[in-house]
Amino acid sequence: MLIGALGGGLYVPAVVGLGLNPNTLNKGYQPEQPIPYSHELHVGQLGLDCTYCHTTVNQAAFAAVPPVETCIACHNPGAAAGVKKNSPKLQALYAAYETGQPVEWIKVHDLADYAYFNHAAHVTKGVSCVSCHGRVDRMGEEGVYQAENLSMGWCIDCHREPEKHLRPPSEVTNLAWTPLDDAEVIAAIKAGAIKAGDEDAAQLLVGTRIKEQYNVHNAAYMQACSTCHR
Amino acid sequence: MSLETPTPTTDLATGIEPLQGQRYWRSLHEYAQSPELVEKIAQEFPDYDPDELLGMSRRKFMKLAGASMALAGLTLTGCRRWPKEKVVAHNSRPEGTMPGVPETYASMFQRGGVATGVFVTSFDGRPIHVAGSPLHPICGDPARYDGGAGDLKYGSADVFTLASILGVYDPDRSRSVRHFTGPLDQRQADRVDWAEFQRAMGPALAEGQKIAVLSEANAGPAFLDTKKRFLKRYPDATWATWEPLHRDNEAEGAKRAFGKPLRAHYDTSKAMVLATFDSNFLTDHPASAKHARGWSKLRKTCDQGKMSRVYAVGSAMNVTSSNADMHLQVKPSTVAAMLDALAVELGVPGVTAAPTLTDPAEQAFVEMLAKDLLTHAGESIVVVGPSQPAGMHALAWSINQKLGNLGPDKTITLTETSDDPVLCVDAIASLTQQMAAGEVDTLLILGGNPVFDAPADLDFAAALENVGVSAHLSLYEDETSVRCDWHLPEAHYLECWGDGRAWDGTICLQQPIIEPLFTGKSAIETLALLSGDEAVSGYDLVRRAWSAAIKAGQYDVQASAWPGGPIDTSAERRWRAAVHDGLLAGSAYPAVSAVPGNASASGLSVSSNVGVFQVEFRSDPKVYDGRFANNGWLQELPEPITKVAWDNPAWVGVKDAGSLGLKTGDVIKITVDERELEVAVFVTPGQAEGVVVLTLGQGRQAGGRIGRGVGFDTYRLRGTDTQGVSYSAKVVKTGKSHPIATTSIHHLIDADRLKHDGTDWTAAGALDKRVGKKPGDEGIIVKQASLDRYKQDLKLPGQKSFANDDAHGDVSLQLYDAPLAKQFAQRAQELMERHPDAVADGWMPATQFNDKHAWAMTIDMTACIGCNACVIACQSENNIPVVGKDQVIMSREMQWMRIDSYYRGKPGATRNFKLDPDDGDVMDAVHMPVTCIHCENAPCEQVCPVAATVHDTEGLNTMVYNRCIGTRYCSNNCPYKVRRFNYFDYHSKLDSAQFRNSGKPGGIANNPWLKFPDQEPGDTIDQIRRMVFNPDVTVRMRGVMEKCTYCTQRINRAKISAKAQWAQDKTAGKPVDDYPYLQDGDVVTACQGACPTEAIAFGNLNDPSSKVSEHQNKNKRSYKLLEELNSRPRTQHMGLVRNPVKA
Repeated sequence: MLIGALGGGLYVPAVVGLGLNPNTLNKGYQPEQPIPYSHELHVGQLGLDCTYCHTTVNQAAFAAVPPVETCIACHNPGAAAGVKKNSPKLQALYAAYETGQPVEWIKVHDLADYAYFNHAAHVTKGVSCVSCHGRVDRMGEEGVYQAENLSMGWCIDCHREPEKHLRPPSEVTNLAWTPLDDAEVIAAIKAGAIKAGDEDAAQLLVGTRIKEQYNVHNAAYMQACSTCHR
Repeated sequence: MSLETPTPTTDLATGIEPLQGQRYWRSLHEYAQSPELVEKIAQEFPDYDPDELLGMSRRKFMKLAGASMALAGLTLTGCRRWPKEKVVAHNSRPEGTMPGVPETYASMFQRGGVATGVFVTSFDGRPIHVAGSPLHPICGDPARYDGGAGDLKYGSADVFTLASILGVYDPDRSRSVRHFTGPLDQRQADRVDWAEFQRAMGPALAEGQKIAVLSEANAGPAFLDTKKRFLKRYPDATWATWEPLHRDNEAEGAKRAFGKPLRAHYDTSKAMVLATFDSNFLTDHPASAKHARGWSKLRKTCDQGKMSRVYAVGSAMNVTSSNADMHLQVKPSTVAAMLDALAVELGVPGVTAAPTLTDPAEQAFVEMLAKDLLTHAGESIVVVGPSQPAGMHALAWSINQKLGNLGPDKTITLTETSDDPVLCVDAIASLTQQMAAGEVDTLLILGGNPVFDAPADLDFAAALENVGVSAHLSLYEDETSVRCDWHLPEAHYLECWGDGRAWDGTICLQQPIIEPLFTGKSAIETLALLSGDEAVSGYDLVRRAWSAAIKAGQYDVQASAWPGGPIDTSAERRWRAAVHDGLLAGSAYPAVSAVPGNASASGLSVSSNVGVFQVEFRSDPKVYDGRFANNGWLQELPEPITKVAWDNPAWVGVKDAGSLGLKTGDVIKITVDERELEVAVFVTPGQAEGVVVLTLGQGRQAGGRIGRGVGFDTYRLRGTDTQGVSYSAKVVKTGKSHPIATTSIHHLIDADRLKHDGTDWTAAGALDKRVGKKPGDEGIIVKQASLDRYKQDLKLPGQKSFANDDAHGDVSLQLYDAPLAKQFAQRAQELMERHPDAVADGWMPATQFNDKHAWAMTIDMTACIGCNACVIACQSENNIPVVGKDQVIMSREMQWMRIDSYYRGKPGATRNFKLDPDDGDVMDAVHMPVTCIHCENAPCEQVCPVAATVHDTEGLNTMVYNRCIGTRYCSNNCPYKVRRFNYFDYHSKLDSAQFRNSGKPGGIANNPWLKFPDQEPGDTIDQIRRMVFNPDVTVRMRGVMEKCTYCTQRINRAKISAKAQWAQDKTAGKPVDDYPYLQDGDVVTACQGACPTEAIAFGNLNDPSSKVSEHQNKNKRSYKLLEELNSRPRTQHMGLVRNPVKA
């Protein structure tokens, strides 16, 4: 009985704790989408830039999902050169195109309604897509999944030390970029200031430079409640 | 607990001697220090009964606990924390739009036949916020807008315009065409479609049928064009225009003076002396936005030692008289007599005899006014209110002519008007006669609600029974709809094309922002449908009328007969410009010069037959003529003078209350011409003896769940001859009572320490704040001075003045340093080095919370008129819920802004000027907007156990809803009482009316909280109603504290957009500044944008050129509210300066 009570005393918090952990709840979430769109094919193999479809990412809070007509530009069912226009996977797209009923995608990265993430604020200052969304260029037809837990603690980690994640804004959509590609890092390695292959040290060098250049705010500003909550 | 006015005694009537000096008070309870009030103050959260919770039975507790367990279980077994959301992208994204980025469109809003320009914010296709158009000649200023580069980002807007957005998403709006059959008490209502209505109307509109149309006023080209076509199609049809809040007396007065109905345009920015006779030209006039802005220009010049002077005579306080330098309340008949006396005093030719003014105050007022007017001849205005008879309006023209105020560049300009030449009352009277005589076979009512608001003696409802077929187009199924054979759903103004004309005649365009939600059609579409017009869509109807107007630059309905054929879509570029601007620039009525004919006295006729009581009818400052009765924001808005929400009590003066034995909430019976009404009383300070003031529009019996049953139907007393004033009425006490929710007794500043025994030193201290420490002191909450006194201050060096001569100065010594004190000090140092010239000129950056910007606000009490626009703008911007009357009685109203109206002097007094230096029989009013003032040293932050309210680095006292656990310690510790607590999920109520007066004894449904119907999950907020939410602001749930955020969402939107652009430019190698600082005007808070007098300034203290820097660093009137607490508010108030005649 006593052991049972003790066991229960441990078991319940353990189940609740683990069960409500953001990692358990969010990470790896991969809903089935109405169209088996493959980022791996379009971005990874064909080399489309993220902003080809997610056009608003530099100006708006949302990195808008593209309208049907963006897809139709290549996969035009009426044009002779329509890419893969007979593929059964595109039927849902064509149905939307014909009926005017838009495609209902399932939101994967879904923050709490009281958190106001803004893509433009991050992307223009050197936070890469990959920092939050993972290697989308390797996510195939099974759909995009949530690579990070997107908890507040996870956000704050970066707001405290942005230099660990920043890269030149010109490289934000280059998901394969590593700090070792940076010219300054290469020079530093040559000069012996950084050990070859020391990615952490290289990132710190690049991140600190970008932070300075782009006037990224100090930790107090970045952690103020009004930065994310309205 | 409902508070009752202390039993009126002669003591109260003549005024209990103030304890000390000048005493400010917000309500009669406070004035008399009623024990109920003291008790209410002693309770931090009134009517909150913890015993309800402690007394919970075990069974109830288990039930609750079980429910929580079940919910917890759901959470654990569910695989996601919250429901799946969908991303539904456009099929084809409209060019220039960006999902999630709000867009602004120009449109217009019409009320009483006059159009106001609006800028509507649309978020992903749904309108969420309405602001005034800066391009509109009345509520904006095209010269200052300049395509977005000027300093005027928004035009001002009144409460009706701002709250109109809520009407779009009112779930009570009618949703389909209805065919009513059967007798009234067992009415059958079939839902049909428009086509069936059209078919059914075939025989009703056939040859030989006598057709009549009753419509609301509208002067827009498309409306007049469609009307003309309808009348061409049905040549025998009659057309009547009815607006219950018409301006018949004005029109008739002008006609008598000039021989034709001219329209007057007052330029208050040139008027050094303004005399108002029962007129509330600051808020209750189609051009009041322009009046208020012009007026405020000559008030703010007090800082240069120059100021206009406003004289106000009326029967009771209103917004204008509460801001007047000299005001006097008299009976309506005496108002007329005083105008006569003024004419005699000024020597207006034709007026020789005036009624004798019995009261020395009346005589003194007229003499002072006459003297002032003569000194400022040519730069003065005499204006008479719409409820006063036409003769007075005519006389006012002669007076203005005598003073040389009329003319193109003078204070009053005259123009033609396109108003219907038939007076509203005549129109509806003759129509009703025809109807009653069976001379109308088919009646089409376009908008309005005549059964409810037509003159009571006409008995429109009975006449309607004699009409063959009747159809009523309206937003709601209202009193008129259910008595007609057909009800037609009207499209909301944001759902359809339309047009109208501004007060100055500028042709305005109504552009839809959203498709009709409920199959509604506009008045012009309905007319076109019935007249078999080839154009049927609103767009085509507007477009073809506008083509003519655009080409002519004007619109003349006589000249522009549409020849038929395809719709003229030429002048496309100018049409597009008009759609963009929401108006046709340069189409104002041309000025005309006219000289009034012979004047004659008007007062004698009205003062010959007066009773003991006179009744004055006013428009309701919350529901207008009743059309906004179902608007929760407006219903819950505290009325500007009495602060009554959810009601329209009869105003009775303090002396009458004493003689009739009345207290607030008592019900009286008023009899006007054999018509009776029982109505609750509000004892109102400053009101004349023998006057009862009634506002029109409440007491609705149909037309939505919010408005139904609120207040009293005062239209039942208003006859054809008593549209403005009844000079003879009977008033008797009934012995019944009715609970009244007034917020004048809520949120008393720093009064929480007032103890029962009154001996506590803190109690004395709290009282001192209003009273002052010794006789003659002003107290320290409201800072007020006369212009003469302020002129003395202006000679002093530095910032010292009446507003801050008791200033304590900041005490920077703290128990411990703020965490970032060093960084902030360093930043201040940098800023001072960057702007040495400004520093030399007296500027100082913020010394704390100054990275990167330092946000601050100033509220100018000299400019504030107390119109409530800021309150509604804030409610709309920040998703603030409506709580209902019962909750308001419990001090639970949620508006983040409130306007404290303080009175000083004696409640029974009726004027604010002394007849001799010892005269103490005076009273005055002050409006003081209060919202969170973002203390740098915030008392709320220090007591929050979970750090849910903390500062950010730019000076915002942030409220983190997701962290708040609802202890309410912060509210307890806030000396300014600006925090609001969500006692319930107010938003999730399907019908906020459930919170309304439940009709139980005492009227308060203070049920145990478990019985409240909000145990439904939070996502049951009505699907239509939730569309009004601003997606940039969190919708707060039950148990969470909230308050003003300085519109943090607007700050962030501006900052992020500037920074993203800056970073992109930098990446692209373009030259950029070192940091993308926001400029003054880049962030406009909701309250600031709506304010008609620009009394609110918001900006960056780190920027020496910003308005707030200028105010807080250099203006002598700036002061910190309750500075002695060392809370160091970021919002500073600016003292009130008035310009009375020296006694």
